[in-house]
Amino acid sequence: MAKLKINGKSYFVGNEPDTPLLWVLREDLKLTGTKFGCGGGYCGACTVHINGEAMRSCRIRVGDVENAIITTIEGLDAASNHPVQKAWLDLQVPQCGYCQSGQIMQAAALLAENNDPSDEDIEISMRGNLCRCMTYNRIKNAVKKAGKSIRAGSV
Amino acid sequence: MHNKEFSRRTFLISSAAGASSLVFANNIVNAKEAVDLLNPASPLVLPPNFAPSVWFTMESNGRTTVHIFRNEMGQHIGTSLAQIVAEELCLSWKDVTIDYPQMDSNTYDTYGMQLTGGSWSVVSEFDKLSKVSAAARQIIVESGADLLGADIADCMAENSIVKDTLMGEKISFSEILSETVIDYQVTEEDLENVKRKDKKDYKIIGRSVQALDIAEKINGSARYAIDAQVPNMVYAKIIAPPKRLGAKIISIDDKEAKQIKGYLTTIPFNFPDEALNGGVLTHVPLVVASDYPSAMRAAKLIDVKWNTDACSTASSADFETEAYKLLKDRNNGSLSWKIGNYDTCGEGKECKKLERSYKTSMIAHVALEPMSALVNFDNGVLHIYAGHQVGTLLPNIIGQFTGISPDKIIYHPHLVGGSFGKRTEFGMIALASLASIQLKKPIKLILTREDDMAFSHPRTPTVQRLEAVISGNECLGYKQEIASATMQFDKLMPQFLRNPIVDGIPVESENKIESFTVVGADNWYDIENQTVNYFRQASIEDTIPVRNVRSVGNNYTVFATETFIDEVSQEIGVDPMTFRLNYLNGVGINAGSNTPASYGGGKRLANVLKIASGLANYGLENLGEYEGLGIAITGAENRWAPCFLALVAKVNVDKNSAAINVQKLTCVLDVGIAINPDGIRAQVEGSLLWGLSNALLEKMTLEDGMVSERNFDSYKWQNITKIPELEIHIVENGIFPSGVGEPATCVVAPAIGNAIFNATGVRLRSLPFSREELFEGLDKKA
Repeated sequence: MAKLKINGKSYFVGNEPDTPLLWVLREDLKLTGTKFGCGGGYCGACTVHINGEAMRSCRIRVGDVENAIITTIEGLDAASNHPVQKAWLDLQVPQCGYCQSGQIMQAAALLAENNDPSDEDIEISMRGNLCRCMTYNRIKNAVKKAGKSIRAGSV
Repeated sequence: MHNKEFSRRTFLISSAAGASSLVFANNIVNAKEAVDLLNPASPLVLPPNFAPSVWFTMESNGRTTVHIFRNEMGQHIGTSLAQIVAEELCLSWKDVTIDYPQMDSNTYDTYGMQLTGGSWSVVSEFDKLSKVSAAARQIIVESGADLLGADIADCMAENSIVKDTLMGEKISFSEILSETVIDYQVTEEDLENVKRKDKKDYKIIGRSVQALDIAEKINGSARYAIDAQVPNMVYAKIIAPPKRLGAKIISIDDKEAKQIKGYLTTIPFNFPDEALNGGVLTHVPLVVASDYPSAMRAAKLIDVKWNTDACSTASSADFETEAYKLLKDRNNGSLSWKIGNYDTCGEGKECKKLERSYKTSMIAHVALEPMSALVNFDNGVLHIYAGHQVGTLLPNIIGQFTGISPDKIIYHPHLVGGSFGKRTEFGMIALASLASIQLKKPIKLILTREDDMAFSHPRTPTVQRLEAVISGNECLGYKQEIASATMQFDKLMPQFLRNPIVDGIPVESENKIESFTVVGADNWYDIENQTVNYFRQASIEDTIPVRNVRSVGNNYTVFATETFIDEVSQEIGVDPMTFRLNYLNGVGINAGSNTPASYGGGKRLANVLKIASGLANYGLENLGEYEGLGIAITGAENRWAPCFLALVAKVNVDKNSAAINVQKLTCVLDVGIAINPDGIRAQVEGSLLWGLSNALLEKMTLEDGMVSERNFDSYKWQNITKIPELEIHIVENGIFPSGVGEPATCVVAPAIGNAIFNATGVRLRSLPFSREELFEGLDKKA
């Protein structure tokens, strides 16, 4: 039995310790907002926060994140109203939407570190989050917009 | 109540006071409630109290739900179709919602094929939805006038309210539906004569309303097939065969896998697609476990012995060699398209011939959601939870695969995590169905990325030979010869085969042409003598099944045409933009008046080309060394449903490394009527970057009869870096809406290639563009 802290709640799960966190989230805890894309850490669809850092849950073993603070798209903001989510809605970023939980989690982690990222900062942080609908322009603009609203809120 | 007496041509409108619905159907069928698949709390198995054949339902609580039978795959199709309904129905947009009704064996009969593809959804629904909605509005106005005691001539509808403009009294649609019984029959003739709004009066069409499916896509609650759940379901994973087609299982040893907790069983299947179509039969083992990680662990421990004696061992290079050989002999090909007489054109004149070859590699869909489906065979009824581009066909086709009667099959549509043509396949859904029937359990089949790519249905590789007959500064003749695999629609969907077209008219012939495979080679240029021949490479078909990938045949035909047109201009010594404009006069068959979307034809292409050139400062821009602009145009997706589109690419090449830097793409598209301008922009942004990815990065290869690239470490595609500036300009002329989901994809590669030539003098004729080839070219020039 492993104890996981996810989105402010505690869960006991009985999975093998080498089970990828992604599948525990999706199958055991029904947190299906985190997506399976490649299983190899290449696409970023499964991005979650572990102790505030954006990580690929398909490459994290559940045995390694006991007692870590895990946040998924469902827990990013209680009202789904995180500045990144607001910017994503305002700029109508998603098309098929499948990669967007991962994009949003990656962007939120970037902005927590640096709320005024340059184009290059955004590219470096987001280059591992693939979007097959190719919504990249809107992603870039939405990250900047969210950064602006975070800056406005923090002063 | 199932009443087959109503012909499909009769639309029935009825409601009962208090019973609260006004339903427009073209048939009355058993009523079932629709599922809101964006709401995770929505039930998966639906209580039978609502008719899924309706286009929309108005309730007395004021809400109107538009029922979407197309597959939502990122194009926000539900929003566009709902805008069309809301406009003619004079609804307040806040009163509008959408749902995606389940489909059964009646759906096809009552609703038609509803194929989501070809960028056709808006083009083919616009007339029907706007007419039905306008008819409903008239009836509601009439009922409202009755209730108000007003003269109908004084009444009008606006924002879900009927107003008596003379007395100033109002009654809401909600009140009308609560207070009166509407029982009305509208004939097809009534519909033809119904008065629709003028474009200038549009309030909802043309507005960039927020897409109705986006809110759920940013909080994790949107439900895709991979997220579907029913109680007691088990999970399945395939073990990919060592060859793409034809491998047979000799034995399966799962002794070691039995140690895995959760492992249940491994069952061998004939892969359904090929088993049904009489193609090359492939076996596939299905590993079943209580959870997906256990299925993945078990699969690694299962020893499958394969017999691959009958498998093709061909590689990509073999197909190329074969294509050049095939193209040498005209007798190997079939006529696809002919205008005038290419063979005799230029006789008696001083002429020269220009001949060039182009090739394109295979590319894959690689939608980010791997193929997945949940199937539950319960109480004799097969429930399919999946996303599919032709959901209306599922009951029949899965019926053929499984032997279950189609009236016992129900499809519950789900969002798809990208498709681009991939989810026209039935095999994986059929496989999950067969397994659920055999194991008597709900089965969720999920492909890993490696499995998904092992079962790729890529775009065919092509080699094309183009020829022009040039006399002075005139192009008298144009010939395009295409060698590729077909999608074997002669076996799968013969309705998509066509006769050769001569001077715009189909001519009966034994040699049918697969329309998607050659689409785009029927160009809009007024070159008087044209021939397009098609050469089928069965050896590819024996190795891998190829299919439509975003913008289908246009990707390679338009690449060849638009590159060649530049080469012809260069040969003649005319600027490529001027050359194109000279041949885009919209005359004869290029007037395009046979379908509403094509009206204007070549003239509209000339117009968008002029605008794009202007926006991009074509011919005026002060370009640097190794910097160039390149043009390409298209009437994709096809001649009956074109979106007239021009692109100017601005490219800069590093003279030392030959790195290709695409700086800007300026795209102008004439969509006739823009339903949702921001939605159009989103589709064009995505299409342009798809085209960029295809032009510079993407390549799938076959080695020894198997796909080489099995994940994103080897199959490279566009990420957020090196994105060019995109300028998108929408032209509207009020003619008819065009489809926009794909067309911009196919012009990117030729525009970039033409820009590279203008920047460097080096002509690249092979996709994806190779930096090595450019490097060598630059070296030679130096």
